Amino acid sequence: MPCERKPMRYGHSEGHTDVCFDDEGKCIVTCGSDGDVRIWESLDDDDPKSINVGEKVYSVALKNGKLVTAVSNNTVQIHTFPEGDPDGILTRFTTNANHVTFNSSGSRVAAGSSDFIVKIVEVVDSSQQKTLRGHDAPVLSVALDPSDEFLASSSCDGSVTVWSIESQTQVAQWKILQKSSDVSNAKSLCRLAWQPRSGKLLAIPVDLTIQLYDRNTWTHVSTLSGDLISQVVNVVVWSPCGKFLAAGTIGGNLLIWDVEAKLCIERQKHEKGFTVCGMAWHPSGGRIAYTDTEGCLGLLEGVSSLSSSSTAAAAKETNDYDDLFDEDDDRMLDEGMSDSRSPVKKPIMEDDDDDDDLMPATGRPRNRGSFLDDDDNSQDPGSVKLDGVPEEDGSSAILPAVGPAVSRPVYEGPMPTQPQRAFQPGSTPVHLMHRFMMWNSVGIVRGYNDDQDNAIDVEFHDTAIHHAMHLTNTLGHTMADLSQEAVLLACEGNNELASKIQCLHFSCWDTHKDWIVDLPKGEDVRALCLGQGWAAVATSALMVRLFSVGGVQKEIFSLPGDVVCMAGHGEQLLIVCHRGTGFDGDQALGIQLLQLGHKRRQVIHGEPLPLSRKSYLAWMDFTAEGTPCCIDSEGVVRMLNRTLGNMWTPVCNTRDSCKSKSDHYWVVGVHENPQQLRCIPCKGARYPPTLPRPAVAVLPFNLLYCQTTTEKGQMEEQYWRSVLFQNHYGFLSSSGYEIDSEGQSRAEKEQQELLMKMFALSCKLEREFRCVELAEMMTHSVVTLAIRYASRSRRMALAQRLSELALEKASQCQEEEQEEEEPAYQRPKTGFQLWLEENRKSILADNPDFEEMDVIKEGMGRFRTLSAEERLNWTERAKGDSDPKKRKREDEGQVDEQMESNEGSTKKKKPLDTSAKLSAFAFNKE
Amino acid sequence: MDPAEVEFLAEKEMVKIIPNFSLDKIYLIGGDLGPFNPGLPVEVPVWLALNLKQRQKCRIVPPEWMDTDKLEEIREQERKLDTFTPIPSPYYMELAKLLLNHSADNIPKADEIRTLVKDIWDTRVAKLRLSADSFISQQEAHAQLDNLTLMEINTTRSFLLDSLNYMYKLRSNLQPGRSQDY
Repeated sequence: MPCERKPMRYGHSEGHTDVCFDDEGKCIVTCGSDGDVRIWESLDDDDPKSINVGEKVYSVALKNGKLVTAVSNNTVQIHTFPEGDPDGILTRFTTNANHVTFNSSGSRVAAGSSDFIVKIVEVVDSSQQKTLRGHDAPVLSVALDPSDEFLASSSCDGSVTVWSIESQTQVAQWKILQKSSDVSNAKSLCRLAWQPRSGKLLAIPVDLTIQLYDRNTWTHVSTLSGDLISQVVNVVVWSPCGKFLAAGTIGGNLLIWDVEAKLCIERQKHEKGFTVCGMAWHPSGGRIAYTDTEGCLGLLEGVSSLSSSSTAAAAKETNDYDDLFDEDDDRMLDEGMSDSRSPVKKPIMEDDDDDDDLMPATGRPRNRGSFLDDDDNSQDPGSVKLDGVPEEDGSSAILPAVGPAVSRPVYEGPMPTQPQRAFQPGSTPVHLMHRFMMWNSVGIVRGYNDDQDNAIDVEFHDTAIHHAMHLTNTLGHTMADLSQEAVLLACEGNNELASKIQCLHFSCWDTHKDWIVDLPKGEDVRALCLGQGWAAVATSALMVRLFSVGGVQKEIFSLPGDVVCMAGHGEQLLIVCHRGTGFDGDQALGIQLLQLGHKRRQVIHGEPLPLSRKSYLAWMDFTAEGTPCCIDSEGVVRMLNRTLGNMWTPVCNTRDSCKSKSDHYWVVGVHENPQQLRCIPCKGARYPPTLPRPAVAVLPFNLLYCQTTTEKGQMEEQYWRSVLFQNHYGFLSSSGYEIDSEGQSRAEKEQQELLMKMFALSCKLEREFRCVELAEMMTHSVVTLAIRYASRSRRMALAQRLSELALEKASQCQEEEQEEEEPAYQRPKTGFQLWLEENRKSILADNPDFEEMDVIKEGMGRFRTLSAEERLNWTERAKGDSDPKKRKREDEGQVDEQMESNEGSTKKKKPLDTSAKLSAFAFNKE
Repeated sequence: MDPAEVEFLAEKEMVKIIPNFSLDKIYLIGGDLGPFNPGLPVEVPVWLALNLKQRQKCRIVPPEWMDTDKLEEIREQERKLDTFTPIPSPYYMELAKLLLNHSADNIPKADEIRTLVKDIWDTRVAKLRLSADSFISQQEAHAQLDNLTLMEINTTRSFLLDSLNYMYKLRSNLQPGRSQDY
């Protein structure tokens, strides 16, 4: 029966970690390279107790309320457990210790150090030390024999040595390991383990196998291996009963053997395939905790039930189909993908037989079907609570169930994924004490929640918007959004208090700058966003509530599923919610894009949001120009392509720019003009810390076109990138925003230039058909250039085809122009019409009841009364109407002429006159 | 050259700032600067950075070498070797002084950095004096000193040159006396 692997959770910052259980198995204790020892009450304990013991912790051991740690200041320290108060230094080395361990009674501690020495110290009296010298390289691991007679140690010099504790001499030595210069270079941590109680066997991880040595003869008795192990074994641990042996490899495989039967009874794979560097078996034997070198903590649940069924099978030595099946299944999964999950545990039948009460309670699948749970713990990495030891003591708990394992059908189909939790794009996880609640293009909202302070800092990138603010967070807000107008905060409700929304509307011109709204009882805020003049809040009741920024409640509407995140920009509202259940690690997300404002409509109607395989949504917002943009956990940035029927185009993969596998970029904003992806490089983490203040870096976009190493591919990528990033101009102008027309024309010019270059390239390669295809994408004026190029390079056939194309384009252009002009098309005006236009008002003023015809008649009459000169003047004006400048100049001329005729010529005016005359002349000529 | 002049030259070095205002590109004789986007790092000369900082218009991002680990490494190197080690910035002393005086709040571990830079400076200047001393005592005609910064050369230039001149004079006065001895 397979055991259940809980999702990994963050335990420590990246680096070596170690793990152990306390004596009762109530807590998991981990240590990491961040120098902290954490005490977890359960795997989903969001607030583990942290004890800082030094700069780095290499190893931790716990017994009888004494927590012993090997710390980077070359000491082995004791702390009390669970209080965590320092209780003195046990021993010192000249360099750091690599492994510490207790003996079975907890009276002695053994430690192996990088200075080649192993020490055994009495816990009560640290002056009683025994030093074992003999290794020629750093000691990797130490293990004390359960009967306190021997100590086994492994070292980088390639040897595993057994010492007699009393005489401090070597009893046996095997040169079976690979030599290395230092712990950091060693292939394996080579954690040794004695069989509990009897100490009959010593398990040593040797390369791909585990070798078992007999205590009495010091000979190699058996080897546990399997063609399934493909990586070096790092850690081995015995089950408390001594029947099973678990091993963790550097490739993240977790294996459990039945030692007597030499049967590998369980295989699990670390979800990311990181190196397992710490393992501990729960005192009841029901579960195994393990940690990896990335600082994550994981748990295997239901190990005892597995052992019981398989032991039964082994004891009976019958072909248990169930087991075979599982093994096959695992192998297949492992070959298929690195990140497999074991199938959901099948329910244990109650009517099995009366042996049921022997099965420990912990073995029961507690949350099979957690994906069906309500959203409260939807993204909780498993909701396992570590219970105390069951009623029976440890040994009976893992006693085999005698009844035969009835083979039952196992569900083998695709496994449902836990739906991802709602989040605010641009925020770091809620469980951090110091976190970014929002980092967007406007500013930064930081939340502090530590012993001294529970506060929120709001800081604006542009101090012209508003000065920085410091708020005390009495309501316990966890969500925030920030816009040019307001800060929106929200907290989830609890038993007494309702979920609240608080808005600090700092751009408000009256004195009441903030408002608070309580949600109805039982409804919690899940996500929120701010737009221009409005705020939207998505709640646990599958609703979106719209508010004005001043606090007026507006429309509410329902959502088809649990919200994941929301984003606002101008009048656009973007909502991502769960569309259904995803399978095999994929999420099933749907996206809605709403246009608020005057023309209210839904632009995207809950269509599926494309994400990379086995990834979840990491960021979702609008670009500064208003195009929706999303980023998944694999670092792929996708942008909505409005000209391609609202499809999503991947524009960049941030992971390509990362130096190491564990580095990430935390995106804070996307700009289309200039093309910038603003993000914060996070070394070895997904999220940046609040201190020291992270610096923003700018990444370029890179469309995933083929053959971008060649010139052709490069130019194609550039062209389509330019086209894609120019789409927002069309959208903005259609929705009535001002646009940067200079930028637009620059982009168009760039595209045409690229087309021309591609044209020249394919010309050179004598790909004339391709040339024509390219020319089809060009504008008319550029096609003429292309014709010239073709004819100059003596490709007459091509030039011919192009000129046909040019003609076609020209006629198309004309048609379009005509269509455009048709309504505005007018015959040239006559002088009378022009005159009428100017004098219509006065006619209408005199005769307010005139119809159009009457107006024209009256106008005719009046026009006739004008002098001939004046009439001519009007006709001339009508001719020059197309060019207002000319008309003006001509008017001046006329006026001057009149002045001349009226007042006679004066010498002063002469030069002006001539010029006026000249211009009038020029115009007449025309 | 007095130290103020060297400092003036150092102010031309580029440094990254994070402005909290928005401004288009500005076109200066020395080159174009900007555009300034709030929250986005941009490179500007030190003189502008300090001016903006004093008006609280930006935060200064310390140069990469202004980091305790790196400086400690340089200090160790400097102490170990007899020759001058290459320094990450030709104006390290001036920049450290300017940036630490004006924007210590933007530089993590400012005090430690101040001490480290001072240590490096002291070590280097001591070496310089030592080599000048041996240069004179051995009556060498020329010597080569690599990786010296302008400010370091400046501290010793006037004194060294003047004293060499005087010594030359004294020696050449001595010369005829000696020749008379023959």
